[in-house]
Amino acid sequence: MAAPVPPLLSPLAALGRAVLSACAGVGTVAVFAGRATRAALTPRWYPAQILRQFWAVGFLSLPVVGLTAWFTGAALALNIYSGGDRFNAETVLPQIVALGITRELGPVLAALMLAGRVAAAIASELGAMRATEQVDALVTLSTDPMRYLVAPRLIAVTLSLPLLAMVADLIGIMGGMQVGKSLLDIAPRIYVTNTVDFLTRWDVESGLIKAGAFGFIVALMGCYHGFTASGGARGVGRATTQAVVTAAILILAADYLLTSLFAHL
Amino acid sequence: MSGQSGRNQWGETVLGAGVLALALGFMGWTMGVTGGGGSHGQYKVTARFGDAGALQAGAKITISGVKIGQVAKIAIDPKTFMAVTELALNSDVAVPSDSTAKITSDGLLGGAHVAISPGGAADNLKAGSEITNTQGAVDLFGLIGQFIRPQGGAAPAASSAAPVPAATPNPATAAVPTY
Repeated sequence: MAAPVPPLLSPLAALGRAVLSACAGVGTVAVFAGRATRAALTPRWYPAQILRQFWAVGFLSLPVVGLTAWFTGAALALNIYSGGDRFNAETVLPQIVALGITRELGPVLAALMLAGRVAAAIASELGAMRATEQVDALVTLSTDPMRYLVAPRLIAVTLSLPLLAMVADLIGIMGGMQVGKSLLDIAPRIYVTNTVDFLTRWDVESGLIKAGAFGFIVALMGCYHGFTASGGARGVGRATTQAVVTAAILILAADYLLTSLFAHL
Repeated sequence: MSGQSGRNQWGETVLGAGVLALALGFMGWTMGVTGGGGSHGQYKVTARFGDAGALQAGAKITISGVKIGQVAKIAIDPKTFMAVTELALNSDVAVPSDSTAKITSDGLLGGAHVAISPGGAADNLKAGSEITNTQGAVDLFGLIGQFIRPQGGAAPAASSAAPVPAATPNPATAAVPTY
């Protein structure tokens, strides 16, 4: 490392450093994820903390998730209508809306909203605690911050995102139904009958499984970036931004991976 | 999320409860409408087709162009290689037992559906009974091919003016008036 690099080779050296630091970053996150998962799966648990996170993450995210889902379902229905109209297939609107919402948009948009709302909140909260040395104080009180701070958030977000995705599915279909009624004059009763007849159990389940994975990503990114924040207020701000950005990217990447995996099942 | 929660979260709490109530209410209403996910107010009959064409589960079933049900399932009969369809018909429509089911489509690009022409029998189809008079999908491209080369593509070109008795008299040919 310390050996002087000839000037010609310095771009290569820079490239190498970038690759190495990227690898180290992935490794650090993986180690953090492993420790956090172990802390979440083994006692001791802090039920009061878990419930508090459930409330903050799950329940208080409902308005945001519901609103997003409604508008998404309605916009999706409008687009399918104008697309399906071109080849006389606009009557399959309920089915396509249902499929798009349950398999893809419900889980992904709920997860992205949580990446914005929850990953940022976790990162800034833990980052501030790190900056004010409260995390170290916990250790002094012989409380494992991994168990007390990280595990409850991991559990709460991973479990509540599927529930939020379920709410998003329902409200997204409602949004589509509203458009179907005003545009195509499909009676709501028929709309939901077509939707329920068409959807298979797996359509919904695969979306909920994805939502669980996204929840893990959101909590992990929030905790990791908050936990590793350094450099005072600015560091906390940077950690928050990075938590949101990395969570969003990982959600979309995981979405593609999981969907292609499910397609081969 | 942190310590100063409490009073200023009332608005969010109420909103969250509202969203939850909306979703649950919608789910309850959906359950009521669709009979708990199952098919309510419908009965299922089967029909075998020689060619299901582009028919898919969920396609509508019509009488005189009015929807009276939808295709519940399409499967292959492993012995006869015919397409066995399960048709879910609304129970408020009594269909005579000698009715004819045929697969047609709305226009060239429209989705395939099953059209039932009611027969004149006194008794009606019951749950589980089979529609025996069926007419499968018309292979449009096959028809066009026959029109362009009436002898059939596989016929040897050397057979000079020999009246090729179409090796496979396509039963679908009789269904041309469908289009």
